[in-house]
Amino acid sequence: MSLFAAQPAIPAGRIELVHLRYRAVLTARWRVLWIAGIFSVVAFAALVRIVWLGFAGDAPRRTSLEEALLPPRGEITDRHGVPLARAFPAYALWFNPAAMGDSGAPLVRSPQEVARALVRIFPDMDEARLAERLASGRSGYLRRRLLPEEANAVFRLGEVALEIPRESDRHYPQGTLGAHILGYVVENEGGKLGMEQVLEERLTHPDLRSQPVALSIDVRVQGALEDELRKGMLATNAIGAAGIVLDVDSGEVMAMASLPEFDPNTAGASGADNVFNRVTNGVYELGSTFKPITVAAAIDAGVVRDLSRTWDATPVQVGRRTLKDLKPKGNGLNVPQALVYSSNTVTARVADELGAERLRRTLIDLGMDQRPFIELPARGKPLFPNGNWARITNMTVGYGHGIAVTPLHLASAYAALVNGGIWRPATLMKIDAKDAPRGRRVFKESTSSRMRQMLRMIAMYGTGRSADAAGYRIGGKTGSAEKNSGGVYNKTSLVSSFAAAFPLDRPRYVVVVVMDEPRGTAASSFQRTAAYTAAPVVGKLVPRIGPMLDVLPDARRDVDISDLRYLVEGPK
Amino acid sequence: MSVGRGQMHSLGWAAVLAMCLGVFTVLSVRVHAVKSEVLLAERQIIALKRESMLLETEFETRASQRQLVEWNAVEFGFGAPRADQFLEGERQLASLGQPLGPGAPAQIRLARATTESEDSAVPAARQQTAMVSPLSGEKVTLAAARADADAGAMFADAFGDFLIEASPIRPARAQSAAASVQASVAGTGE
Repeated sequence: MSLFAAQPAIPAGRIELVHLRYRAVLTARWRVLWIAGIFSVVAFAALVRIVWLGFAGDAPRRTSLEEALLPPRGEITDRHGVPLARAFPAYALWFNPAAMGDSGAPLVRSPQEVARALVRIFPDMDEARLAERLASGRSGYLRRRLLPEEANAVFRLGEVALEIPRESDRHYPQGTLGAHILGYVVENEGGKLGMEQVLEERLTHPDLRSQPVALSIDVRVQGALEDELRKGMLATNAIGAAGIVLDVDSGEVMAMASLPEFDPNTAGASGADNVFNRVTNGVYELGSTFKPITVAAAIDAGVVRDLSRTWDATPVQVGRRTLKDLKPKGNGLNVPQALVYSSNTVTARVADELGAERLRRTLIDLGMDQRPFIELPARGKPLFPNGNWARITNMTVGYGHGIAVTPLHLASAYAALVNGGIWRPATLMKIDAKDAPRGRRVFKESTSSRMRQMLRMIAMYGTGRSADAAGYRIGGKTGSAEKNSGGVYNKTSLVSSFAAAFPLDRPRYVVVVVMDEPRGTAASSFQRTAAYTAAPVVGKLVPRIGPMLDVLPDARRDVDISDLRYLVEGPK
Repeated sequence: MSVGRGQMHSLGWAAVLAMCLGVFTVLSVRVHAVKSEVLLAERQIIALKRESMLLETEFETRASQRQLVEWNAVEFGFGAPRADQFLEGERQLASLGQPLGPGAPAQIRLARATTESEDSAVPAARQQTAMVSPLSGEKVTLAAARADADAGAMFADAFGDFLIEASPIRPARAQSAAASVQASVAGTGE
């Protein structure tokens, strides 16, 4: 610059040129400066962004091992740890038209081609409808559940828009087994109906759901009960059946079945058929199965002291009604005979002598005036005669008419009858022997011992003979009652039941089987009564479940009935 | 010189720093490698656990109670065991034996002699002394000794004699491994 300045003799045109050149260089430098400035601003912005992301941005989510293996809903198992309900990873097929991320077609190939390829994987899908669906461009489920192989096959199609989201499914490996106990799960709503509903909080609790919940059910016993009930129901053409196996000392339910059943795997938001639980929700007049309870109350109260006393067995006339025996066995019967031959008249007279208040008190002590004691939400309200009982009410309740309870009520009452007289609430949760509820005393120990003898005699000499499986010391009482609809007894539709306990020399379990409207078929010798419909089910069931429940048969052991035997057999 | 020494010092420090940096880099790379291996292993564990649960559930489903009942009805036809199929103990098992009829051949009874060595020695030592044939003095390897964990041999060891005693059929040369050990002990003792 100073050089140019030192030569003023340079012509003006040249100076102009130099000036121009200087301007151009300056412009270029400015431009470089601008670009460098822009670059540094961008770099600074990027740096700020990186720092910002580092502090406030979403870190890539890394789930820990425990988190990944924590089931979304806890597992339910039986008492030995066999899974009954578990969260099961499943795949769904979801169509996401926006997956490609551009404005072009959502699919690589034409919808028709993709539909054809999908139908090759899922032959039950309709190709035309599928193609229409893919062409419509609406997102949504194409299919709810995929097997892993199918998911792989869909993945190999290479269509980005066909997404395979992993979802959690509630799976019941045993299918319909114990459906009424377990209930089912509706997505986004939670458990319904059974223990799924009862244990909702426990199963979804973040700290507790990794631990499975053990129910009191034994899967093998449940399977045997359902199988025998189903066979019995089909053989007698009954519209339904209910059964329960109850531990007499702890109140744990070993098995509980209500037929017809439903499949919790397919039950969803729309519900299911046959969700009615006949064991806890169905109230029935259970008839003669109440007779042992009446007799026990009478023995307990000292009304029946001498079992050899002969009671009048002729028809009872109360007001305008006459109570009769179905099959009269003579004009006089003692109490063991009355139970063995199931005499209404003698039981009614025993109940009459006992008095309404004392029988009512016993039934209330057995919990029959309230809904049954169990965790399930579906519990039926018994039809318990209210107020002061009239004489006729007392007499009919004595043999199980005019009062309707659930089969579970009856099972709990029979448990109290044979276990030494302690009534305990039933439970579906597995409990330790030391945690068993103390219960309340309803009968004396001596009364319970007498009842064990008489229940055994019913199975040996009376209506329960077809339940007497060799070696298991079964005892129980049949009951056949006509169904009461709107105050009218329907002569053709019966509810036949059998309430039993085994082994009676040291009672462990109570079994109650109820058949709803059995028909006289060839299998039941064209009879509808409990001796031909319900009792044989128990006779077949107990040998199957006995060894599983640690009750081994022994033909050389039995209840000591030597002091009562002659009362039924007659002196020999 | 002093400047040279100072330069040497700073050079040495630089070298140490460079070495530390190098070691740090290598170590952190190694740590990251191990970390990602752990992550991979965790993912594998998760995948395997999920797969085993899948398989277990499939097994449970295929072997559900209802399925088993159907298989039994079609294929096997097993029924519940009867009361007379249960035995309470050895006495009840022994009671199933029949007394000898008139004119039946005499039973072959297996004697059992107790020797001093048997009383004192531990069973393992007894086994070792028993591995000699009483006739030739050669070493004998017993079937029971060869397959100690064999369930059948163990059962025969424990119950063989008793079953032979209790059985109404008395084969002449039926003798369990344990009995032959005892017999050979008896042989060596005398």
